[in-house]
Amino acid sequence: MAQSDSSNRKNTRARVAVVAAGVVSPLGFRLTETLDSLRNSRNCISPVTRFSVGQCRCKTAGQVSDDRLLATQAEAPRSRRLHRASHMMIQALTELVAQEPHFEPELTVIGTTSGGMSYGEHYYRSLRQAGDLRHAATWIANYPAQKPVIDAQESFGISSPYQVIANACASGTNAIGHAFECVRSGRYQRVLAGGYDALSELVFTGFDSLQASTPEKCRPFDRHRTGMVLGEGAALLALENLDSAQRRGAPVLAEIIGYGISTDNFHITQPDPSGIGPRQAMERAVQSAHVAENEIDYINAHGTATLFNDAAEGKAINRLFNGVPVSSTKSMMGHSLGAAGAIEAVVCLLALQHQFLPPNINFRAADDDLDLNIVANESRPAVLRTVLSNSFGFGGTNASILMRRFKA
Amino acid sequence: MSLAIAGMGWVTPLGSGVDSVWERLLQGHEASATTISEPFSEQAYSAFRVPESAMAGFSYPRLRRASVISRFAAAAGLEALRAAGVELNSQNAERTALIFAISNGGVIYTRRFYRDIVDAGAQSASPLLFPETVFNAPASHLAAILGITGATYTLVGDGAVGLAAIKMAEDLMANEALEHCLVVGTEEVDWLLCDAYRRWRLLRRAPPIEPFSKQPRGMILSEGAGAILLGQDGPFTIESAHPGGCFTKRAEAEKILERTLRDLAETEIDFVVSSANGTFVDQAECRALKVVIPNAIVYTAKPALGESVGAAGLWQIMLAAQALRSRELPPVLHVRSTGSLQLPRARMSIPRARRAIVLSCGLNQQAAGLRLASD
Repeated sequence: MAQSDSSNRKNTRARVAVVAAGVVSPLGFRLTETLDSLRNSRNCISPVTRFSVGQCRCKTAGQVSDDRLLATQAEAPRSRRLHRASHMMIQALTELVAQEPHFEPELTVIGTTSGGMSYGEHYYRSLRQAGDLRHAATWIANYPAQKPVIDAQESFGISSPYQVIANACASGTNAIGHAFECVRSGRYQRVLAGGYDALSELVFTGFDSLQASTPEKCRPFDRHRTGMVLGEGAALLALENLDSAQRRGAPVLAEIIGYGISTDNFHITQPDPSGIGPRQAMERAVQSAHVAENEIDYINAHGTATLFNDAAEGKAINRLFNGVPVSSTKSMMGHSLGAAGAIEAVVCLLALQHQFLPPNINFRAADDDLDLNIVANESRPAVLRTVLSNSFGFGGTNASILMRRFKA
Repeated sequence: MSLAIAGMGWVTPLGSGVDSVWERLLQGHEASATTISEPFSEQAYSAFRVPESAMAGFSYPRLRRASVISRFAAAAGLEALRAAGVELNSQNAERTALIFAISNGGVIYTRRFYRDIVDAGAQSASPLLFPETVFNAPASHLAAILGITGATYTLVGDGAVGLAAIKMAEDLMANEALEHCLVVGTEEVDWLLCDAYRRWRLLRRAPPIEPFSKQPRGMILSEGAGAILLGQDGPFTIESAHPGGCFTKRAEAEKILERTLRDLAETEIDFVVSSANGTFVDQAECRALKVVIPNAIVYTAKPALGESVGAAGLWQIMLAAQALRSRELPPVLHVRSTGSLQLPRARMSIPRARRAIVLSCGLNQQAAGLRLASD
């Protein structure tokens, strides 16, 4: 069985190390480019080019360049058939494996919301409009949400069982949080975790139909915020029992120390205005880590810039934490849904390693109802020991993880 | 760690209710096929759908606009809780986790939503339909009905996702703060799904599903839900949930199944509930079974109930539990050749049965298994 011998131990509290990471997002390819974009407060939102947005209110998104993405992949015919979500996952795993070539996960846990949706769109559109269906088999085979996970694993000879979590926009954080619990409980020694999502017409139009996305700039927590912009990408973290990592001399980039999950049953698309869902997730993460609220040095907020989400999250942050610096990096790269929590975990990792606060760009005026310490428009140096990352989604799913700087 | 099955709930093309569906299976009944067509296509398909009578009187305000997949899941989930005598309140709801296993999800509303975009442009996209297209919509509806405020997860995968969900439940229940975990597998049938599986050469145009045929002729899709409430006490114990593995080529499925069976068959096994559905899965399972436990009695309900993909794994566990409870196996329908396996061709008494293996081989490269025992 691909599972550690200590599977019967309950409530063991192993420490959980992040020993490698990989990322591709509108902020850039790999950790170095991501760090550069964050430090330079770069706006990585651009006009949508993948499909027609002529009838949508919103016309922009954070996008990953296909030219770069495909240029880094193999030329094999199989590679050309893969969905771009698979290419993003392979890109992120390539970076991770380069850091830790001997990381052999016992389990892979990945968050997503829509898998290879654009292939499903090609298939249906071709059927409906009597179009060319010669590639239908390829579209269908590469549409399932688990396929990019399988493709990435296969590229590196990884055959561990996988769990694909589809908890809407909280999926990436849920995946990392669940992976953390698996290692902390002692049931697993090494788990690969993260998330991915690629832009699709269906999802883009869906958020537009809800008027959740904005025709303007994305301004999280701003008094005049008007909504979100979408994004895409993939990010992976290699989690390992700290003792095991240290025994084999693996570099420890940071620790994950807490995870909180809650379900808010208010409405399928809107959070309870009281902020109880986000508050419970953050409280549970803090309790799970056995730290006090005043030990948190930075919060990477879910911060979609929709009126209701930011209000609920802002209230919850306000109630639990006093003056902690807060930013939503979605302002720079858009909301990449199932990938968001994983990419933002990488943002937190970089913030801890390089001791700076990532910015909340496009911020003009504070919302009087939200008394938050926003890291407005520019990144800045800071002493960070413990940081918190939030993700909330449709269906009332809320997730928070806590990460800590590692000192040997 | 071992988990107990405290309660079960079932919505199937043979009706709803665990005892009722089980009795029909014992009697050798088979679901009625419905023809599904689309105005823009000449292709028509057969599918096993849940009859309206199975959901008669089931109504919740939260489900008013929800697709059938959410209704099936809610009905099955509530039955599992009732069967276990568990009533959730604000105290124990926080200590109950909810895990959904889904493969294709809310495909009916997804297709309708995208059809409007294709036909009339983005401005005609419905803001009411879009939220129901997300994979976790059924889980969110059931969580709201039950008042669950803690962990809720939706897992996506192929036919083996139900067993992956049980494995995840085992991981979650390592946390002593949790009392129960409700695992629900659910799926709905749509013309588009049938067309996709047909193009993938996995679908048969009309019943029957002929299990373990030398030449796989394909499956018939079905829909419904299965729910299992897991806790510390109950009449059945999941002794081992095996994570199986991921196969990159179909030919490799057999090896993963073989390894899974070897680990699970370390103690004496009375029968195996297979996922044979008339596709390549059958031969992979058949070869693995012949190598590891050649004399095992093997049962599959897919000729009677169809292939419900995301719900299938949960259904298989429930079949194993019912067989252990009643000490009987239903007949395997439409068997043309047994491939030297011991398949019950008629209702079979298994008076001393205590342990069963559930084996699941998905169509998208995932395989898993578990071992179930009665007290």
